Amino acid sequence: MRSRILITGLLLVAPLARGQSYSAKVGVIAPLTGAEQAFGAQHERGYAMALEDINAKGGVLGKPLEIIKYDDQSKADVAVQGASKLVDQDKVPVVIGAYSSQSTLALVPAMNKRQVPLVIPTATADNVMASKSPWVFRVCGGADDYARATVDFLKTIGLPKSLALIYENTNFGQANAESMRVQAKAAKMAIVADEAYAQAAPSYTAMLQKVKEKNPEAIYFASYLLDATQLMKQSRQVGLNPKIYTSAGTGFAIPAFISPEKGAGKDAEYTFSTQQWMPESKWPGSREFSDRVKARFGEYPSYHAVQAYVSLLIVADAVNRAGKWEPKAIREAIAKVEIPSIFGPIKFVNQQNQHPILITQVQNGAFAIVAPADQATAKPILPTPPWSARP
Amino acid sequence: MATLQAILNGLLVGGIYALIAMGMALVFGVMRLVNFAHASFLMVGMYVAFFGYTLLKINPYWGFVLVGGALALFGLGVYWTLIRRVMGQSDFLQILLTEGISLCLVGAAQLLFTGDYRSINLPLANRTANLGPLNFNVAYAVSFAIAIFGATSMFLYMRYTEMGRAIRAVAQNPGVAPLMGIRVQWVNGISFAFGVACAGAAGALLLPIFYVNPTIGGPYNLKSFVIVVLGGMGSLEGAALGGLILGVTEGLTAYYWEDSYTQVVDFVLFLAVLLLRPQGLFGRKAP
Repeated sequence: MRSRILITGLLLVAPLARGQSYSAKVGVIAPLTGAEQAFGAQHERGYAMALEDINAKGGVLGKPLEIIKYDDQSKADVAVQGASKLVDQDKVPVVIGAYSSQSTLALVPAMNKRQVPLVIPTATADNVMASKSPWVFRVCGGADDYARATVDFLKTIGLPKSLALIYENTNFGQANAESMRVQAKAAKMAIVADEAYAQAAPSYTAMLQKVKEKNPEAIYFASYLLDATQLMKQSRQVGLNPKIYTSAGTGFAIPAFISPEKGAGKDAEYTFSTQQWMPESKWPGSREFSDRVKARFGEYPSYHAVQAYVSLLIVADAVNRAGKWEPKAIREAIAKVEIPSIFGPIKFVNQQNQHPILITQVQNGAFAIVAPADQATAKPILPTPPWSARP
Repeated sequence: MATLQAILNGLLVGGIYALIAMGMALVFGVMRLVNFAHASFLMVGMYVAFFGYTLLKINPYWGFVLVGGALALFGLGVYWTLIRRVMGQSDFLQILLTEGISLCLVGAAQLLFTGDYRSINLPLANRTANLGPLNFNVAYAVSFAIAIFGATSMFLYMRYTEMGRAIRAVAQNPGVAPLMGIRVQWVNGISFAFGVACAGAAGALLLPIFYVNPTIGGPYNLKSFVIVVLGGMGSLEGAALGGLILGVTEGLTAYYWEDSYTQVVDFVLFLAVLLLRPQGLFGRKAP
């Protein structure tokens, strides 16, 4: 009887004691499997490079830095379980993740409740910052930035009169479509088609056929990789011929998309995309980083890898300045971070890093920067030739 | 004309749905087993076709026969070691077992092949042809033709061969069939192998126009289930027609409404059939 009381007592006290000690590790949530795995792989590369760099400089608080990875399987509900696994069980005092806007949006309240800082590397939907939770920081630019940069670019080449929106129907696609609706309205561009689709379908021809009949001058896509590939291949099939293909980065912006083996290959040619970073970016170290990733993983990184890389550098810097592995101290230190990086100078204003957006075009099987003018490496090729005139 | 185009696109996708669903319908009709691992066998078929093409240069457009054969053997093994033990047991056990097999297959694929997606690039898959004012992808059309051929030959096999008669006899009455000298165990095993072979062959035909990763099966399980219910639980011709109907419905939904509502329409169709014609298009009323 006495032992039972003792055990009950210990169980009651345990949760109180738990809050006191945190492990000296960073939690990381990314889609290592499932539909978004291509982006999860970019995250993994970014984290691996960051660990190498941080530990080469003596680690954090005098010890080598360690991370604990959690696979969200490209699903939002699993990402939320990651918060519980990493914070409640592994006791990490800071988490970086997730990849997608959908998973990240689900993660925000879970982290806020636990009062542990969350650094968001890649989620562009602006609603991930809408909670105004003091525990949430975002490294990447958002959907509004993408839409604004795209419209600004379109103005420099002669604003099209009509635009079609084609977007995947989760948080990322919806948020980017909404931002573009607002920007297009302000610029007096008519939206003639507004089409949401489900990821991982074998055929989008019916939807593309419908868009073709609206005859838009330009298209703005918000797509992940596998759908972006299918969309371009099937645009050829139905003969969808806008003058300009534009997109909200992501699937249209990673190296696999332009690869003939893994992506759309020659059908990716001429497409424009927003980008957050390029190996040719003017920020010092970009080229070297890119070459190191290529040497180690056999492929150049996309901006997603760089955002993951920089996120871990930010956390390491914050923990070093906080002087201890404790959520509140780390939060205060992240809020005051000010470091130069290959992703530009990092500084949070209202917990949002201020980051400029680039526009690229696929030219001769590679991404070329075409805007803004101070970063451009090539001139845009316009208009996009019709499919019948392409090899 | 646009409607015709949407119907054509839907039919071509529907042909593959039909082949996948026929496998599920066969297993259900004969064994009264809802195989929740069905789409995972589709995924296995896609990987077999992928490695057949990349390592041995086997074109999936004839290699689908080999993939089907390999998957039939695999299915037989799974039946003999696992499924056999839950035959005649409660539905609950059968669901748990097949769902468990599905998890194992997906997990094994992730372990062996990582979560990365893979695709093959056949020149055929990028070719477009015209039929009057309509256009279509040649690879889809070839897959469609093969799927319809496969479905027809399976139908004829069931109708005119001794084994086919035995399978139908077990489907009609598993209690009486053994009294007529039919070895039910054996028939069950063959049916399961056939069902898995359908999924495998469909996987081989799907690969050139799609891509494969370990979790690719997910949506196809649900679609097959909808099709099997639509056609009449266990009816092969029902599943074939149901697949085409679902494909066309999805095509028209994407054209007249929005692509992201295709799943909604799938399930409305599912509920409507359950409410209005629970025996399905080709099913008989329960005695």
